[in-house]
Parts: sequence; structure tokens; C-alpha cells
Amino acid sequence: MSKFFKDMKKFRKYIGFSAKSSLKSEVAGSYLGWIWWILEPLLFMMVYWFIYTVIFRRTGEYITLYILIGLTLWNFFSKNLTSSVRIVAANKATVAKVYIPKYALIMSIMLQNGFKMAISFLIIVAFMIYYKVQLTIYVLWLIPIFITLFLVSFGLNCIIAHFGVFVEDLRNVINVVLRVMFYMSGVFYELVSRGTGKSVIPEPFATLLSKCNPMAFLMTSTRNCLIYSSNVGYKVLAAWFVLGILLAIGGVKLIYKYENSYIKVI
Amino acid sequence: MQEENAIEVKNLHIRYKCLRNTSIRNSLFKLKKNKAEIFEAVKGISFDVKKGEIVGLIGKNGSGKSTTLRAIAGIFSPDEGTIESYTESVALLSIGVGFQTRLTGRENIFLSGMLLGFPKEKIQEKMDDIIQFAELGQFIDMPVKTYSSGMFSKLAFSITVILEPEIMLVDEVLSVGDAKFRKKSGAKMQQLIKDANRTVILVSHNSDTIKRFCDRVIWLHEGEIKMIGKTAEVMPAYEEFMS
Repeated sequence: MSKFFKDMKKFRKYIGFSAKSSLKSEVAGSYLGWIWWILEPLLFMMVYWFIYTVIFRRTGEYITLYILIGLTLWNFFSKNLTSSVRIVAANKATVAKVYIPKYALIMSIMLQNGFKMAISFLIIVAFMIYYKVQLTIYVLWLIPIFITLFLVSFGLNCIIAHFGVFVEDLRNVINVVLRVMFYMSGVFYELVSRGTGKSVIPEPFATLLSKCNPMAFLMTSTRNCLIYSSNVGYKVLAAWFVLGILLAIGGVKLIYKYENSYIKVI
Repeated sequence: MQEENAIEVKNLHIRYKCLRNTSIRNSLFKLKKNKAEIFEAVKGISFDVKKGEIVGLIGKNGSGKSTTLRAIAGIFSPDEGTIESYTESVALLSIGVGFQTRLTGRENIFLSGMLLGFPKEKIQEKMDDIIQFAELGQFIDMPVKTYSSGMFSKLAFSITVILEPEIMLVDEVLSVGDAKFRKKSGAKMQQLIKDANRTVILVSHNSDTIKRFCDRVIWLHEGEIKMIGKTAEVMPAYEEFMS
């Protein structure tokens, strides 16, 4: 672990700088540049809003905001994971020539996606002002929620990055798993009905989906504290927080143990 | 010459475990594990490099020279044995590390330099030297993807040589750019290598280069040290062996 902090100190600046330059190069390469970071969540929000209200003929209070929050968190999580699965191969040129702890590459990606998530959050704020949503003290729950999101993501990313080096087609598996998770997370529908307090889907799936799926739980929590000013299931949050720390430590250890053999494989 | 050791290599073994990357289908249907082939590239070599010394690594293709060099640079760790290096910046002189081709040359200098472990201030300080040495002129503020291949390698070369790491590992003397730049880079390399404080490990197939620069030579043969000693002692034997 002391190695981790030493390396962090050494590579901290590089991580920040490389994230910044990757973002810059993304802007430089595209026609609309940074406008995409705003357009993307907005357009996808409209797609799901259409499915929910027009095709399923449902209505809901703050439904646009509801979907937007879900999408913001989901995009962060899924983009990190899809990049991590082939991150070592993608950075082959660098990895083959200098030593860099491989999780530093993951951190750089997470920083980039975190920045995009922040922009997406600004849209959420704009919508909240538009809807005149009253903010309450519950907003403070966002801090532990996001720390947990980062920890769980980072841990999973490290583990996936490790196996992604050795298993070529893990990418396909990840894509399927992510798709399943997306539909199981209630990004654009309610897992638990707010009106009645009862779950929309039968047990035991409701508990399974809303608590054991970290993304579903974190999305619901974010919505609760932002829109509905209600409390967050802090026991479940604490459990995911601890699990996130364990995943992160495990992931870093895994990478340290095997990272030197990566270059011999790719 | 100081007697302090800059690098100590003890009983270094490096194996390529043929950890081939596999697909899920393969691992499911081939449950019987075919014995992992182990190829030992470096078989227990030990040597010291003194501070300020210039050591040449020679040997035929596939004798483990590059592997040893990369292990010293820390790109992969030894499977057995230890490598101790007593300085901060060890850099493998390598081309175009971490370039983002959509960004300008100037930004790439930062990116590459930081990856090589130099602080931002030092890169800033050396920026003008790098740009001047690379002969890029106003192109430095254009995206790297618009560069010609010659410009690209000139920039990459300049970054490493101007930043001057304490221990330099050189895998084949690089020849980049046009005749004029080659001459200039050759002179710069010579100046860098000759600097009394710099420790250099030089891998080359060119006997003349080795004879010109190196104090000592390590001759690797199929992963083992065949001969180690003063340049004047080792080179005749090596040349005779190779002819």
C-alpha cells in the first residue's frame, strides 16, 4: 500500500495532465467540440423520455430530471468500464516504453469521464432551477454517494482491466453485462413506485435489483436526495462504501502483482 | 571515476511465460491445460554499473539485450533476482512516448516529459531548447498529426536528449531525420554519453559505436554473460566470434 501512495505522488500530475490533454484532443478532433458533452446526455434523455411517456404511456413528476440523473451516473460508470477493459492494449505504445502503474491510466480515464459527468450535472442543475425543485439538507448525501460511486467504479475498472489483458473477448462479455445492468438499473423507469411505496416488480427481484445492483442503488439515492428530499438507505450505502474500498484495494493489488507480465502478453 | 554503484543487477532471470492472451472459447474448450511454455530470455546474469560509467551490451539477436535493458528501466520486473538502481531518473531513450497526435507539439512535450518522470517546471525550463533542437519552428504549435514522420521523430528524440536523465539506457543508437539532423543528434548523443556524471548503458550491434564510447562491455549470449570486461579485451573476442 505504501507503494501505492508513493506512486500516486509521483504520477498524480501526469494523471491530471493526460486527462486534460485527452479531453482537449477530443475537442480538437470533432466538429462541435465540447458541445457534444452537453448534447449527448440531453439527446439520450429525450430518447428515453419518448419511450417512457409516448410508448409506455406513463407519466411521472420530474420525469426528465429523473432520467437525466440516471443517465449521468450510468454514463460515468459504463464509459469507464468499456475503456478499462482494453486500456492496457490501447496504451501499448506507452506501456512498452516506460513504467507507469497501470491503474494510473484508469484514473486518467475516470478523470475524463468525471469531468463529463460534471458537465452533465450542470444540466441537471439547470433543470432543477427550471422545475423550481426545493433543495434541502439531504443534498449533502451526494458526497458519500459520489465517493462510493468512484470507489466501486475504480475497483471494478482495475479488476476488469487486469482480466482484459489476458482474455481477448472480455470486451464482448462486458458489453452484454453492461446492457443487462442498464435495463436492470431503472435508468428510465421506476424500480420502486414512489406513489404507493410498493415495488413495481415482484420480489425477490425488487430487493435484488434495487440494493445489490450498485448503480440502481446509487441512482435511486441521488434522486432521493436531489429531487424528493428524502433520506438515503444509509446502511446499504455504507455496505457499498466498504465494498468499494475492498474492490479498490483488491484491484490495485491485483494490478501491482501482475502488471509486469502485461507487456509480455499484449 | 566514482566508485559508487549506479545499478546493481544480481542473478537476473526473466522468463516469458507465454501467457498468451486467450479467448473465453479457448479456455472453456481446452480445460486440459496445455503446459505453459516457458521461454527464459535472461538466465541469471549479475553485473554492476558504476556511476558515470558507460557500459555496452552486445550479443547476437535474441540474446536478451533489450530484455535486460527494459528490466533495468522498470518496464517489467525480474522473475528472479534483483535490480537496484540508486538514482531518480532512469530513462530508456525511446521515441514518442505517450503522444497524443491531435495535440500540438508543445503539449506533447509536456505529456511525454511528465511520463518520463520529469517535473513540469523542468520541462518548462527546457522547452525552448527542445523546440530549437527539434528544428520545428512554428510547427511546434500545430497538431502532431500534421507532422511529417521526420518531424515526428525529431521531436521525440529531442525530448529525451534535452531532458537529460541521470541514467540513460540506449537501445541502438537512433538515427532519425535528415543527414544534417543525424549529424547534430549524433554529436548531442556523444556529448550526453561523454558527460562524466551520466551513467549510460548502450545496446548496439555496431562495433565502432561500442569501441568509441564504452568503458566496459558485457557480452550476452543466449541469456547468459559470455564475457565481461574492458572494451579492449572483450571486443576482439566478440568480433572473432561473430565473423
